Amino acid sequence: MKIRINPIKVNILLLPFILAAFVVWAGRPGDELSVKDARGFPIPHAIVKWGEENFATVDENGVFRIPESMGEAEEIEILALGYASRKVQLSHLNPGQDILLKEHLGQLNEVVIAATRTNRSVADLPMPVQVINQEKIQETGGMRLSEVLREQTGLQVVSNHGAGLQMQGLSSDYILILLDGEPMIGRTAGTFDLDRISVSNIERIEVLRGPSSAIYGSEAMAGVINIITKESTEPAHGTVQGRYRSFNTMDLTAEGGVNQNGWNIYGFYNRFSTDGFDLNPSVLGNTQSPYHAHTGQLKVGKKLGQKWEMKTFLRGYAEDSEDMMGIREGGETLAAGMRGKRRELNINPTLIFRPNEDWLLTLRGMTSLFSTRSSSWFMESGESIDIQDFDQVYHRTEFQVDHQLTKDQLLTFGMGQLLETVDATRYDELNRFDAGYLFLQHQWEAGKKWNLVSGMRADLHSQYGGQVSPKVSAMYQFSDTFSWQASLGAGFKAPDFRQLLLNFNNAAAGYYVFGANLVQEGIANLQAQGLVRQILIDPTQFGELKAESSWAINTGGRWQAHEDVLVQVNFFRNHIENLIETAPVARLSTGQNAFSYFNISSVITQGGELDVLYRINERLQLSLGYMYLDSRDRDVLAAIDVGDIFRRDSQNRTRQVTRSDYGGLFNRSRHSGNIKLNYYEPFTGICTALRGIYRGPFGFGDVNGNLILDDPREYAPGIFQTNLTLSKTFERGLMFEVGGFNLLNQLNIYDPTNPGRTYFIGAKVPLHRYFN
Amino acid sequence: MKKQFCFYSVALLCLPFLMACSEDESPVVVTPLEVETVENLHAPNDVVNRQTGEVIQENPFQYFSFEQNGLVESVDGDWDIGFKGTTIIVNSGISGPGNARGMVMQGLFSEMSEVPSDASLRVDTEDVLAIPHGSGNGWYNYNNTTHLISPIPGRFLVFQTNAGNYVKMEILSYYRDNPPMDEADFTTGGYYTFEYVLQLNGSRVFE
Repeated sequence: MKIRINPIKVNILLLPFILAAFVVWAGRPGDELSVKDARGFPIPHAIVKWGEENFATVDENGVFRIPESMGEAEEIEILALGYASRKVQLSHLNPGQDILLKEHLGQLNEVVIAATRTNRSVADLPMPVQVINQEKIQETGGMRLSEVLREQTGLQVVSNHGAGLQMQGLSSDYILILLDGEPMIGRTAGTFDLDRISVSNIERIEVLRGPSSAIYGSEAMAGVINIITKESTEPAHGTVQGRYRSFNTMDLTAEGGVNQNGWNIYGFYNRFSTDGFDLNPSVLGNTQSPYHAHTGQLKVGKKLGQKWEMKTFLRGYAEDSEDMMGIREGGETLAAGMRGKRRELNINPTLIFRPNEDWLLTLRGMTSLFSTRSSSWFMESGESIDIQDFDQVYHRTEFQVDHQLTKDQLLTFGMGQLLETVDATRYDELNRFDAGYLFLQHQWEAGKKWNLVSGMRADLHSQYGGQVSPKVSAMYQFSDTFSWQASLGAGFKAPDFRQLLLNFNNAAAGYYVFGANLVQEGIANLQAQGLVRQILIDPTQFGELKAESSWAINTGGRWQAHEDVLVQVNFFRNHIENLIETAPVARLSTGQNAFSYFNISSVITQGGELDVLYRINERLQLSLGYMYLDSRDRDVLAAIDVGDIFRRDSQNRTRQVTRSDYGGLFNRSRHSGNIKLNYYEPFTGICTALRGIYRGPFGFGDVNGNLILDDPREYAPGIFQTNLTLSKTFERGLMFEVGGFNLLNQLNIYDPTNPGRTYFIGAKVPLHRYFN
Repeated sequence: MKKQFCFYSVALLCLPFLMACSEDESPVVVTPLEVETVENLHAPNDVVNRQTGEVIQENPFQYFSFEQNGLVESVDGDWDIGFKGTTIIVNSGISGPGNARGMVMQGLFSEMSEVPSDASLRVDTEDVLAIPHGSGNGWYNYNNTTHLISPIPGRFLVFQTNAGNYVKMEILSYYRDNPPMDEADFTTGGYYTFEYVLQLNGSRVFE
């Protein structure tokens, strides 16, 4: 049985690598065995099973002491998350002997919550999911989430009002970011800035590709990133960690907690600071502003008897940045100071009730506050230029019921209510939205070969009305080593605040932008002032803004070609309708326009992702990743077909654009990939992770005047970054690391997230291992 | 302020026509119209305070005559169109005392052989200029990231001059020395480079 509400970790080991050991020894009570990985490091909390239903865990040093109760058992099985389980004949062992477990390839048995809101392993899920575990996070040497995600196949980090993620060719606006299962708020121009997230308290990152609006609603159109933070696994622990790198960038972390008497407490504090960098020194101001940030987190969990559990999660984030810019006024450039502030607070209480084995009831509350403030002023005169405030409050209450229908069917039902307010300089008044939703999901393991997940969610929102999002996924296990899966699902994204509420007037250029909710009133005001010359769009269409919606198919397979070779592939096609863009609504007497937001475009992104993992030997592992991406705006193609699109050549003369000129959407690389080499040197104990990350040429913006990508001059060159991390872990978990990013110093002015070559050093000290 | 105008004919373009005629029984030699090029016509916009939108320094329109292929001193002269910043006016209606008209056309400048009979050439009115102003409305797009003005490919202008002759005109660049758009520097804006074909005989046909 693989579908379980609360699977114990024993059950997640599925892949068929069961190695027999042939050594001689008759185990006696009191004798010790050590469970270790291939590098000789103990595997803490591995599980030893014997007889019918007996099991025990090894201690934090991987040591297992044979208990009296084992009696006459002849064979034990050792299981550990992430490792191939192993059966050992007791008579074949020597006292004190090490039992080595071989690691699974590709983190296939890691638990994933994001995909179904229940615990399922990667290998069991009929949709493309990936888990980035702590070891993988560690070896990137990254301090912020963007630095970890950018090394994964098929994920790009694109700079646009912050480090935004791109997945399956869709931008940050369409990717839901969850922190311990709860959505994170606070986007700027649609971008969720991944640099806001410190990675040092992350246990693992779940990456779910393809639409998941069937369980998450809005924003989960391209996929979902679920960040799972650590919990206390030991009775008492405390760790300090520090990293320093080029550009005076420093990352300091302290974490600790207890796990005893039914209490689970985990606390975390991180301070990050950087001097930023400047790719264009001739222009006043930095490419990346200097800033410092504090992140604090507290997780408290308490088991109340066998059936009840309470958890509360608190997180706070504070960021302050300072920079300069040059403002041109009447032919001269004046220096201006800039200051930015971001604050974030998350409070998530959860109550869990397990009346019996077949039911699980969860009540979650979630409140998030996000605010930004930016100000600028002339350095010389001190005169203020601009102050912008943004305050967002998001509250959600959700009730979820999981019911085990039969031993291979699990039904999940959920309902929720949410309330959101926003108050900002560019929006009038305080704005409030209300929404409610229901979702239903059925997971079914039909026979040994089929694995099905189907679900549907209905959202009702005070702004954009109702939305129904179905999804169905199936996997067929052809053999122990080969499976194929397909999923078809709908996604949607609600209009954001800007699209609904913006009230913006560019005084210098004389144009106006109104959110859909304000356009009627805004245009009426302009008309009353006699500023409108001509209305360009039928006024009955004003304010009719629907959610952006998509259909997507994902299909792919997993092939364990050999014990040491794993091949995974996924093909996708996203078909997005009602994309929201600005369009002029009225021509003004100044000759400028007033704009608002409308459902205009229709876009397709499609492609494939391939990952190959090859364990050459116990010390050396090679992985290759590649993504092919094709994206296109269907309206542009239609216009090209009727001969309505032209371009200017380098002499600025006009010619007609053909389909073969068209390069799709901006900021998408047709080809991208990575090559990673992990080497463990047994003599020194040094782990080496060498990674090459390639991002192919991508369109950075329009040059030849027709606003589409169709000219070789509009492409930024491809770039290959070489990153290296060397680390050594000592007996008690003390770890040192040294490394560098972009060692070949590849620069691209169109990628402002890339500062060029950087070096880092770091150390991690698990204090509890020293003061026990 | 120094203005530089260049004129050159495209002699090569004549060859196919001349050769085609040789097969006719009674050859009529058609003289193709010349494509004139004007470079770096400097027409700076008013200087505006970026914060308030207030005009700090007002600049004059530059008045141009197609027949003279050059600038005309003042608004009272015999001019056809005027430039200031990205605004183009015609000598009629609210902009001037004359009879000039204009409109924006879609397509390839080089391929338009005749002004269509249903083409509605307009005068400048309070409501709308013959060549509408604003990004995307008339002849240019404005990119608010790079602050660059790019002539919209596939859009060109058709005018009827003050004297009643038809002209087709394509703006090549808004920047000094007609740079490729990827090399344009937004601080060198306000320098028009354009090409035009003038039919002096009053016909709508450019051949």
